Amino acid sequence: MRRIWAALTTTALTAAALTGCGLGAGDSKNSDSVASAAATGEVKGKVSIQTWALKPKFTDYMQGVIDGFKKKYPGVEVDWLDQPGEGYSDKVLSQAASGTLPDVVNLPPDFAFPLAKKDVLLDVAKADPKLADEYVAGGVEAYRYNGYQGTFGYPWYLNTDVDYWNSDLLGKDGLDPKKPPTSLDELIAQARVMKEKSGGQDYLMSRKPGLGDLYDIGVKIMADDGKSFTFNTPEAAALLDRYRDAFKEGLMPNGVLTDTYAGNSKLFSAGTVAWTTGGGNYITSLATDNPTLAPKVVASPAMGTPPLYVQGLSIPKSTKNPAAAVALARWVTSPENQAAFAHLTSVFPSTKASANDPFFSRSDGTNAGNAKVIAFDSLAKAKLIQPVEVDDAMGTVVKQQFALAISGRSSSKQALDTAVAQCDKLLKG
Amino acid sequence: MTHRRWFTPWLLAGPAILWLAVFNLWPAVNTVILSFTNAKPIGGGRFTGLENYGRLLDDAQLADALLNSIVFMLVCLPLLTVLPLLLALLVQRRIPGITFFRTAFYTPVIASAVVVALIWGWVLDDRGLVNGLLGQSGLSRSPVPFLTDRWLLLFSAIALTVWKGLGYYMVIYLSALANVPRELHEAAAVDGAGPLSRFRHVTLPGVRPTMVLISALISVSSLRVFSELYVLSNGLGGPGGRDMSVVMLIQMYSRGFNGHLGYASALSLLLFVVTLGPMLFLLRLNRKAA
Repeated sequence: MRRIWAALTTTALTAAALTGCGLGAGDSKNSDSVASAAATGEVKGKVSIQTWALKPKFTDYMQGVIDGFKKKYPGVEVDWLDQPGEGYSDKVLSQAASGTLPDVVNLPPDFAFPLAKKDVLLDVAKADPKLADEYVAGGVEAYRYNGYQGTFGYPWYLNTDVDYWNSDLLGKDGLDPKKPPTSLDELIAQARVMKEKSGGQDYLMSRKPGLGDLYDIGVKIMADDGKSFTFNTPEAAALLDRYRDAFKEGLMPNGVLTDTYAGNSKLFSAGTVAWTTGGGNYITSLATDNPTLAPKVVASPAMGTPPLYVQGLSIPKSTKNPAAAVALARWVTSPENQAAFAHLTSVFPSTKASANDPFFSRSDGTNAGNAKVIAFDSLAKAKLIQPVEVDDAMGTVVKQQFALAISGRSSSKQALDTAVAQCDKLLKG
Repeated sequence: MTHRRWFTPWLLAGPAILWLAVFNLWPAVNTVILSFTNAKPIGGGRFTGLENYGRLLDDAQLADALLNSIVFMLVCLPLLTVLPLLLALLVQRRIPGITFFRTAFYTPVIASAVVVALIWGWVLDDRGLVNGLLGQSGLSRSPVPFLTDRWLLLFSAIALTVWKGLGYYMVIYLSALANVPRELHEAAAVDGAGPLSRFRHVTLPGVRPTMVLISALISVSSLRVFSELYVLSNGLGGPGGRDMSVVMLIQMYSRGFNGHLGYASALSLLLFVVTLGPMLFLLRLNRKAA
């Protein structure tokens, strides 16, 4: 017994000693000195950039952008790394933990936040004071975090959600594809019609609500100081109750509770669900999965507040070549290069100068072209809905508790209280 | 004359010792250390004493996860210990075409657990094969929620695990059965023992050590179940997360930029201790029987 206690004490002391010494502490480079070096330094030498899943579809485009940069700054060498779509966050995490992040990294705001919190990223607004004048406010705001001073990324391309409807299925079940639902009331009413007409074979609704739906009805997700969650309100409970009743009535498939393989968009592309949401380029990608369905899809603006999706380029403070890193990030996100990218696929530039490009506001008459215009118009009112503080574990907890409430095995209030309590614990932990 | 230097054995064992120290010993020690901290993947952490262990007592999801893992083990253990033995006895006979059956029973073993779970997910879905058959035969008017009900999801994962594991343990039993001397069976038959009696008094004692080994393997792997439940529940662990296993909880807490490595390490150590229980029990049982 004495030996066991001795072993436990030794372990505890070792743990205390190792962690107390600041094991694995972050980079302590001064942001001001790096920013000043970036602003005044000469653009030369080697610089690396990491993108996310652009190869092979956009290899030519990206290579063209890099060649343009090398032409503008002769003598500079650019090392381009492209990471696959799957497991990107794990890759960035291991790079950050081992101090091997490239000079310029594609990070969406929720990936950049934990790195900014640990003082890993450069405040690019310090190195580039014109940033806020040249990029749209929503994009810049996405890289400014509650309680942390600075802007931790150049906004790159933007997107939002559009509602997509299967016009064939709507018509077959006695609904008018030209008058899709614009509110939850209409959605439930039309889902009921579809269920009755199809004998329960077709569904209009096949997703459970998330934090975005609570935001839509005015529920505050987090306290202003970002230190606690506040979405367990009576209004949120009432919304979950409505979904619970719809589920009980058979207006949604069982799979909504676990988002099983036949999730919302998969059921839509299989033609068994008449509604899904997606980015401005959804119809183009659907044409690969289900070419018969794609021409029959009708787009309409998202119900409620459209979510704003932002991709951006961040620069680690540990960069050995801050001047070239800032110049490269600016170059890739410049109005010309962003416009060229957006013309290749339905994403939208984050630069103010691109707003008047008629390409985005004019449809070519196809349903995909209409969806692009709807998405572009929606961007003006799109908001960052989910706080960046919501991490993977919190997202899972929210889904689990919302599913429990909708299944009717817990009251909505109880589920919301549990979700808030668990998320608060994770936030503090 | 051969000269032996004192360091020769160390030199030979060195690479293996180094490998064990780096990839087994250090991660284990590090897990213990981390469990006393609030470490995150970036920026390290600080010593928090027994806080993570205190949190274990206050975690409702952990209670569910432990119950799931234990139920999983209690159901899988007898099924996967007995059924593969019976299967091995069936395919042990040397009759034409038996190789086909041996291969067929072994096929699920070589398939990836994730792929198998995905296929089972399609089969058990609302519009999958099983619900289709139940609907058409009139046995059920509405789809059976195999993948969304707390217990049905757990038992679906158990069924998948048993189906997938049968072939693997069958092969182990086949090799054990081959080592049971034929003369013993012949002598027992001469003494008038029937097939059941021979199974009880010759076969079973002959494969007992293998049975204990298989039971130990099953109890450890059942308590550490992950892929089957994770894929069938799409990573959510069912409504309310009530179908999570302990390993799923560890994964949930440790992943991502904000991974709670300290708490995940405490969970890992708890799972280690829980896994030791059935192992020690089986060892004791074996010693008694011996």
